[in-house]
Amino acid sequence: MSTLSTQPPAPPRRTANRGISDLALRNLFIIPTVAFLIVFNIFPLIYSLGYSFTDFAANQNRPWQFVGIQNYRELLADEQIWTNFVITAKYVIVSVAGQMLVGFGLAMLLNRAFAFKGLVTTLLMLPMMMSAAVVGLFWQLLYSPSWGPINYIVGLGDFGLLSDADTALYAVAITDIWMWSPFVMLLSLAGLSAVPKHLYEAAAIDRASGWYTFTRITLPLVSPLLLIALIFRTMEAFKTFDLAYVLSVQPTTELISIKLYRLAFQQWDTGRSCALAYIVLIMVLAITNIYVKYLNKVKER
Amino acid sequence: MAMVRPARHAAFNRAAISAVLVLTVVFLSPIYWIVSTSFKARAVATSVPPTVIFKPEVTPYIKLFTKRVQLTTDVNKETYDAAPWWEKLVYDGGERILKVGDSPQLSPYPSRFENSLIIAITSTVLAVGLGTFTAYGFSRFKMKGEDDMLFFILSTRMLPPVVVAIPMFLMYRAVGLTDTHIGLIIMYVAFNLSFSVWLMKGFMDEIPKEYEEAALVDGYTRLQAFFKIVLPEAATGIAATAVFCFITAWNEYAFALMLTSRNAQTAPPFIPAQVGSGLIDWTTIAAGSVLFLLPVALFTFLLRNHLLRGVTFGAIRK
Amino acid sequence: MLRRHFLFTTAGAALALSGAFTAPVSAADQELNIFWAEWDPANYLQELVNDFTKESGIKVTVSTTPWSDFQTKTFAELNAKGDSYDLIVGDSQWLGVGSEQGHWVDLTDFFTKHDLKNKFLPATISGYAEYPAGSNKFWAIPLEGDVNGWAYRKDWFEDPKEMTAFKAKYGYDLGVPKDQKQLRDIAEFFNRPDQKRYGVALYTDNSYDAMAMGVEQTIFTSGGSLGDYASYKVDGVVNSKESVAGLQAYHDLFKFTPPGWNKAFFAENNQAITEGLAAMSMNFFAFFPALANPKTNPHAAATGFFANPPGVGGAKFAALGGQGVSVVSYSKKQDLAMKFLEWFVKDETQKKWANLGGYTCSKAVLTSPEFLKATPYNQAFYDSMSIVRDFWATPEYAELLDQLNKRIYPFVISDKGTAQEVLDSVVKDWTATFNKYNRYKK
Repeated sequence: MSTLSTQPPAPPRRTANRGISDLALRNLFIIPTVAFLIVFNIFPLIYSLGYSFTDFAANQNRPWQFVGIQNYRELLADEQIWTNFVITAKYVIVSVAGQMLVGFGLAMLLNRAFAFKGLVTTLLMLPMMMSAAVVGLFWQLLYSPSWGPINYIVGLGDFGLLSDADTALYAVAITDIWMWSPFVMLLSLAGLSAVPKHLYEAAAIDRASGWYTFTRITLPLVSPLLLIALIFRTMEAFKTFDLAYVLSVQPTTELISIKLYRLAFQQWDTGRSCALAYIVLIMVLAITNIYVKYLNKVKER
Repeated sequence: MAMVRPARHAAFNRAAISAVLVLTVVFLSPIYWIVSTSFKARAVATSVPPTVIFKPEVTPYIKLFTKRVQLTTDVNKETYDAAPWWEKLVYDGGERILKVGDSPQLSPYPSRFENSLIIAITSTVLAVGLGTFTAYGFSRFKMKGEDDMLFFILSTRMLPPVVVAIPMFLMYRAVGLTDTHIGLIIMYVAFNLSFSVWLMKGFMDEIPKEYEEAALVDGYTRLQAFFKIVLPEAATGIAATAVFCFITAWNEYAFALMLTSRNAQTAPPFIPAQVGSGLIDWTTIAAGSVLFLLPVALFTFLLRNHLLRGVTFGAIRK
Repeated sequence: MLRRHFLFTTAGAALALSGAFTAPVSAADQELNIFWAEWDPANYLQELVNDFTKESGIKVTVSTTPWSDFQTKTFAELNAKGDSYDLIVGDSQWLGVGSEQGHWVDLTDFFTKHDLKNKFLPATISGYAEYPAGSNKFWAIPLEGDVNGWAYRKDWFEDPKEMTAFKAKYGYDLGVPKDQKQLRDIAEFFNRPDQKRYGVALYTDNSYDAMAMGVEQTIFTSGGSLGDYASYKVDGVVNSKESVAGLQAYHDLFKFTPPGWNKAFFAENNQAITEGLAAMSMNFFAFFPALANPKTNPHAAATGFFANPPGVGGAKFAALGGQGVSVVSYSKKQDLAMKFLEWFVKDETQKKWANLGGYTCSKAVLTSPEFLKATPYNQAFYDSMSIVRDFWATPEYAELLDQLNKRIYPFVISDKGTAQEVLDSVVKDWTATFNKYNRYKK
């Protein structure tokens, strides 16, 4: 890895011209991306922000009116929305915790040399390579108490894990865990393989216990990566739509993004849906901000 | 992890590997179900109780590539006997293939697949390329408000797609980007760019500054140093980023559905739509999913070694 | 106008990026695009229009999207005044939005010119073409007639042992149910979870109109109503004694459905028959071809069909499905589209349409003996088609549907609340919605 440090290949002749200045280069490298993101992410966002203060309905030709913060006020006072948030919170906690546990567990087990390790790792990643809509559709088949295999294997009889109002959310979370644990596994594995071997050797010489080695060496060194996995998975779980929408139509699995979709595209209440979208965005931003602050702290250690 | 006594260690290793293999089987069983469904007859796919052992057939794959309709009664014997083998298989399943004149009508699957390839590959190249430049910019040059800038970039990934869907749709309509390849490519670049910047930034931070400084002393320009020294060093990170971006772009569903209709529609909205008259055709959906999984699985497998080393996000200090 | 201005600023910025790539696609001038949902009738239509192409040289493509996204995609397109599609085969409930928002081209003159009022079955005219009801204004040509009917297991019904047991238990002969009460009894009779056999398969999917169709049908047959579509009166109508009894009946029938039956629509209900799960299954006739073919339904020979039986009070109704084809007002090829419609309403075309498997609404074809005998379910289809009744077709139907779904689903599936409470809440929601749209101001 470090062969290049002293001997760059074929150095060109020294000239007075140092190329473009560092500042210009920095701008050249950064500005296109930022501009691109502003045009394609921030413009629509401002647009939605504008709508969120109106009673605009995208399916009507009637003129829209400015309604101030009425959309926000009514949404925040609506019990139904809070139910949706509670469902979403439950879902995010169960599903992300499951993914972290399964993913990190798999990585711990995988973190040793054996034949076909690359193949096994790739195979384990297959679930996350599929489209959420297809995964949702097939898990619906798998969960069916009549023609799905899960009930026959697990021995649930006629009990529909996905169709029972109380367990449906967990059924959706299980599917999400199946699909995204490999992501956590991959990140953890990268972290684990980067832990310097000499630290373990030193621990072995000191006759440190397995638990001690794990909590004092492995975990601290892997934790930044685990946090990044946590950030991305939390964000994505909060936004889960395709998977849950294809799997279940129960009121007990109506995640906030499903509510949002219904408001925007079934009731065509564009103004209010934009307001709700903003509430969701602010929540995700807040959560992520906390994570990122914590991540920076962990990295500084 | 305990390396106390070698003998115990070896036993522990063996147990861990067996556990991995068992878990792999558990993890793969849903995928096995999809693959096996793609070789089942339509009725076998939803039998009560489920069928595990069956005679495999390729009918679903033939159905995937053709336009068909349900038959209410069997076709007459002459028509059946005159049909080629693949058409017979479809007849056996109780359907007939639509014809224009004498040639069978193809389903949109091949063209959707092609669109998916064009759009996913182009958008991945762009997202990773832009992301690499930007990450280098952030990694090497100090800047006021750098952390805020990075957080802003990350935050663009937090938008629930529904927030931007309506404005995006109106905007695309106004500039004529709906149902174009370039329209979806832009969408996916916008979607993947934040991830790409974050991943690559971590990786750039890992590459020691001394490498470039040495090159600069030797007369390279900054730009030359970037291309000749930094990029090769970052290859692993680039590969890992590319895999993630490709997976996301390859499978995106909601925007593909909203923003495209004919010319540029990708495969994900098409695959789950295989319903015959009144029965979801699980077998054809499965066939479509299996073929659609192949390119991305292959891509990941080829880059597997980079993937492990690449995804460190600069989180691990040397 | 602020909105428009904003749009163009944004547009300008993006245009610079994209200008090079959006070269106009020519050679598409002689091409029509029809949009429909992904199902067999759309394939039949594609096959049918190939003839039109042969005659006229105009290429016609039928584009499809899954049912679950059909509504969203259509309205996203229409609201943006898009011209991707020249004709759309739209749901009956869309007439209000389509006409009031100016999405559909007014076809009233076309109707008069071709005397279509006498050509198509009256129920299909009011269901798929006319809006508002009784106004003599037409926005679509009835294309695919459809209605809710029932499939049942003849072999179970005709099993002598079952017949004796049934007679002993209920005091009358087991057979095709003559009213809703008998339907319930039979469902109860055949519901035997220990044998993996269940009474009845119902619609329960609430993501669009599936469950509402099932529920409205029992509400109508018990003499209830979803409101007065002309005066928007709902209080005392939607929550009337009869309507409550209707909803209660659906709720009671749900007890006899197979396990996990809470996101069921046409596919699941057909599977209930093909997999031998249920004695009776509710479904739209468009989905019955799969049940008539032994290759797709092992019990095809033993599967019978009947029209929705009347309520105990004698009210005869069936929920309307099906679609009419409308010309999109933003299409730049309206003249071609009209040419196509002229061809489509011809008698030969309608006949060919029926032969291919489409459900024509043409009176002449529907009453012909060859049509009635062509399949085991065509007679039941014709019977049902004369007793159809539909959901609201006002522009705000989507909100009404969503509000109804939200209220009835927990009651039917999870036994939350009572039928009276549910319908009282629906009345409250709907009244609020109608007020929002100023429906009561005269």
